[in-house]
Amino acid sequence: MIHSVLIFNTSGVPRLTKFYTPLRSESQPLIRKIFSLISPRPASLCNFLDAPELQSFLGSKIGEEVRVVYRNYATLYFVFVVDGAESELGILDLIQVFVESLDRAFENVCELDLVFHFDDVHHILGELIQGGLVLETNVDEISEAVQTSQQTRKESFMTANPLALGVGAGGPRSSTLQTPLGWLTNKLTGVGAR
Amino acid sequence: MATSMRGLTQFIADIRGARVRELEEKRINKEMANIRKKFKDGNLDGYQKKKYVSKIVFTYILGYKVDVGHMEAVNLISSYKYSEKQIGYLAVTLLMHENSDFLRLVVNSIKKDLDENNEITNCLALHAIANVGGQEMAEALSEDVHRLLISPTSGSMVKKKAALTLLRLYRKHPDVIPAAEWALRIVAIMDDVDLGVVNCVTSLVMAMAQDNLDPFAVCCHKAVDRLNKLVIEREYSATYSYYKVPSPWLQVKLLRLLQYYPPSEDPAIRTVLHQVLQTIMNNSAEQSRNVQHNNAQNAVLFEAIGLAIHLDTNSPLVGTAAVLLARFISSKETNVRYLGLDTMAHLAARVDSLDSIKKHQGTIVLSLRDKDISVRRRALDLLYSMCDVDNAELIVGELLQYLKVADYGLREEMVLKIAILTEKYASSYKWYVDTILQLISAAGDHVGDEVWFRVVQITTNTEDLQEYAAKVVFEHLRTPSCHESLIKVGGYVLGEYGHLIANEPGYSPAEQFTILHSKSQFCTAPTRALLLSTYIKWVNVFPEIKPQLLAVFERYRHVLDSELQQRACEFFALASRPDDDELLQNICEEMPPFPPRESALLGRLNRKLGDTEDKRTWIHGGKEANLDREATRRGTLRRRTENALPDANISNGNVPSNGTGAEEADILSSLAGLDLSSSSMTPDIHAPLPPTPTEVKQPGPLLTHGENIDRWFDKLCYTNDGVLYEDVQIQMGIKSEYHNHLGRVAIYIGNKIDAPFTSFTATVHVNDPEALTVSFAKLPPSTIAPRTQIQQLLHVECKKMFTKPPIVTISFLAGSHQTIVIRLPIITTKFFENVKLGQSDFFERWKLIGGPPREAQVVIPIELSATGHIDIVKNKKIVSGHRFGLLDDIDPNPNNLVAAGVLHLSQAGKVGCLLRLEPNREAKLCRLTVRSTSEEVAAEVLKLLQLPLRRESNL
Repeated sequence: MIHSVLIFNTSGVPRLTKFYTPLRSESQPLIRKIFSLISPRPASLCNFLDAPELQSFLGSKIGEEVRVVYRNYATLYFVFVVDGAESELGILDLIQVFVESLDRAFENVCELDLVFHFDDVHHILGELIQGGLVLETNVDEISEAVQTSQQTRKESFMTANPLALGVGAGGPRSSTLQTPLGWLTNKLTGVGAR
Repeated sequence: MATSMRGLTQFIADIRGARVRELEEKRINKEMANIRKKFKDGNLDGYQKKKYVSKIVFTYILGYKVDVGHMEAVNLISSYKYSEKQIGYLAVTLLMHENSDFLRLVVNSIKKDLDENNEITNCLALHAIANVGGQEMAEALSEDVHRLLISPTSGSMVKKKAALTLLRLYRKHPDVIPAAEWALRIVAIMDDVDLGVVNCVTSLVMAMAQDNLDPFAVCCHKAVDRLNKLVIEREYSATYSYYKVPSPWLQVKLLRLLQYYPPSEDPAIRTVLHQVLQTIMNNSAEQSRNVQHNNAQNAVLFEAIGLAIHLDTNSPLVGTAAVLLARFISSKETNVRYLGLDTMAHLAARVDSLDSIKKHQGTIVLSLRDKDISVRRRALDLLYSMCDVDNAELIVGELLQYLKVADYGLREEMVLKIAILTEKYASSYKWYVDTILQLISAAGDHVGDEVWFRVVQITTNTEDLQEYAAKVVFEHLRTPSCHESLIKVGGYVLGEYGHLIANEPGYSPAEQFTILHSKSQFCTAPTRALLLSTYIKWVNVFPEIKPQLLAVFERYRHVLDSELQQRACEFFALASRPDDDELLQNICEEMPPFPPRESALLGRLNRKLGDTEDKRTWIHGGKEANLDREATRRGTLRRRTENALPDANISNGNVPSNGTGAEEADILSSLAGLDLSSSSMTPDIHAPLPPTPTEVKQPGPLLTHGENIDRWFDKLCYTNDGVLYEDVQIQMGIKSEYHNHLGRVAIYIGNKIDAPFTSFTATVHVNDPEALTVSFAKLPPSTIAPRTQIQQLLHVECKKMFTKPPIVTISFLAGSHQTIVIRLPIITTKFFENVKLGQSDFFERWKLIGGPPREAQVVIPIELSATGHIDIVKNKKIVSGHRFGLLDDIDPNPNNLVAAGVLHLSQAGKVGCLLRLEPNREAKLCRLTVRSTSEEVAAEVLKLLQLPLRRESNL
């Protein structure tokens, strides 16, 4: 099964953390540990890494295999921590599906989307993986499910707040998902990776 | 969301704007304080709660500890607004884990959402259970989840989520879920049209089948059928093709699932599966430039190779696979090298001959120096698996060399593996000792105690080795820096066997003492204690150095460590006794050999390798290791299922109760465990159970009951065509023909309703496959259209005498899930051919066979025909229907019947059989006598014939 799904950027700042097995300790040291395992590996090495070091964090039984499968996209690392029962290449494909799904939902997904729409990212992940197991691998199905839930959410919000601004009834979904860069640009100029 | 919650967006922007971590923390603390205050004041509306909970969730994602908001999240779940409910569920799944007390509060809301007639709400609830479900949820909700999974009204989305949710609950609390009972219904969903659903259900089936092999056995048919559709018929919706590969995840799952079952005996399945694997391997020949396409294709290919290895290591498919793997391990792509080595290790763990792998030994050894640690690890595993007597010295040599530069994380495992290989494949004891000592000095810190214990054990038990071992240890001790483990070995071996070499120059007692004692100051207390024991042994054998030894004891009498002090005092007292005292001599008697015992090393390694949740289908190591493991696994599994399903066994009439067998196995295994516990750390993986009757006997399926069923069956026993089963939905008929020991049986299955039967399965269970084989000519289709009939042909071969008719299990979905389990009218007498005998011949043979035990006789009541006469026509029909040749003119009484037949068995040969039937009208009784050269056959024929004779039927 999949123990956890993590996204962090090349400076090691986590952008998504999801654990399917309860952790024994806090997540911060684990994330740092994983980052330290992956970041020094050049692109020519393989995408899989045995990581017995992580056993103590995951509270798994002694001797269970822990494997890290990761993939690097521009400034982001997508990292899956899995056990021995998952096909390595299968997970690699799954990461690709995840990224494609994010890309559909956000239109050219970038790091900022993951920050401001953390709840959407979790919902998309929830359509892909549930409880550590692969739920759906078809990008069309995934984005359809995401859209349906988005629609329902918007409708329920609309009925509750009929006067709310910026939520056009039935407008293109993507317009509500765009990062509100407009009024934020001032605040963000000159800010580094954080 | 951002547009709808300005406060939240502002908060996120602020945090991103914080230039240093302190500022970020400050901002968060301020916000949390604010939220705490708001929560305390209470009186918040849904929107505010949602906003604050969102902020808390964001803070949590950043990695901060969060201790508020749980209650509010729980409240949000029960909101009727979807937007609030959704955030509530998100918070619950992120902030809580399965043991949170808060979860008690949400069970009811979740149950309500499961019951709701709204897919999206159902999905939210399922998702939550799948993420945080614990014991309590499993008990309260698994029924509801199961209902959603099997309900015909559930949409694909719900089914998928329900399947995985059920899986999660099953993994966490298998006792709550009656997996065996739900098996057929769940397996039936593997025929769903939606591949997403199939994928999820396959995951569920895979987990449950591992613990319940027999109840889930049908899944093999489904898996093969589905693979056939995907790979060969290419029947799937276009959206499920991922970079032109039809749903690689599903293919991988199905291929993996099949590896949990022993290879199927059914020729139809075998042919299809062979085609599938062949096609997958052929497809891989064309590598395209697209990375994703290659990835997906290889994922399937590697799993297919795994399955091919599992099915038959000698098949030509595995030959092809070996060639492919050889290409992979020298591939330029690291991922491919990695997986190639991994799969090759699987091959090495199973094949009879390692030759095809040994050809690539050079490449594999080179992989130990790959730039990627992941690849190095796989190479190490492979070398460990492919090691045998011939290449052990070479491989161990390579490993030892590599050990010196290996990554720290790898060393401990390497040491264990080297130690095991050295012991297992040692061609000479000298080589063994040399290698192990070299190992200890090369990787001292990573050497577990088991390793040096084992050296001592082997040295003690092998007399020829002792002198050599003492010498080598001595040489090793001479090196300036030597590891403590080595000193321990040195202390023990020289103490016991130092006297064997004391006469040779350079190994005198004084030299032995100096070298050992010079090391003692760097050692820990336990090692020093061991050295003291060495010294007292020397006092006994080397009187010339007794003064020095006494001085050491004297000094140690004053150390603080109580253990050392006590030893020193006792040894001092012992050594100070007069020289003619025999006590010392008796105490220092040479150690007796250790009782032979399992190496603790393997135990240690296997414990390290414990089971993952989905169990591995193979382990690293040679063929025997895998065979052992397999046997044990099946043994324990069977015991477990038997314990879990006592009712099934008892109610199952046609299987002798095997309770005692199971108990016996239990006792045996506990004895085996006791035996090994002396080495204290070997898990029961290495206690292969002796094959008991329990393991051989497979409980047959439970028969469907009904009076007509028996009547139809009985009639078909002496006719070739007729009705086998019928109810409102389905009708089954049989046409059969037999010739000697072979038979062909056609089953006609008709759908009588206006809806199709989906997920149709038909399987045949034979009690004793050694005696009788029954197989489908081809895989049955998975659907039967409304108001149509299909025909399935069965090939039958009788090899030996058998008594239990085969059982066919038909299951299908028509609204609900139906299962029909009935006996097939394939019985011993079907393989009879009639013979014509003259009067004299007959009586000669009749006498030759003689009375019991080769004669079987019974007197049965009969009913007379309507006119009060004996129904000769009926009797004749029954006897000739059982394929006996009626012989006229032998018995003077026209009412009596005499018949003869020969039973054809392909392996056991032919068995003749004679029969006489003497009805008595007045007494309404009838005597049936059967004589045969085989008493078994006589009894069986008697049993088969008396039943229809006894009954009154309208022929």
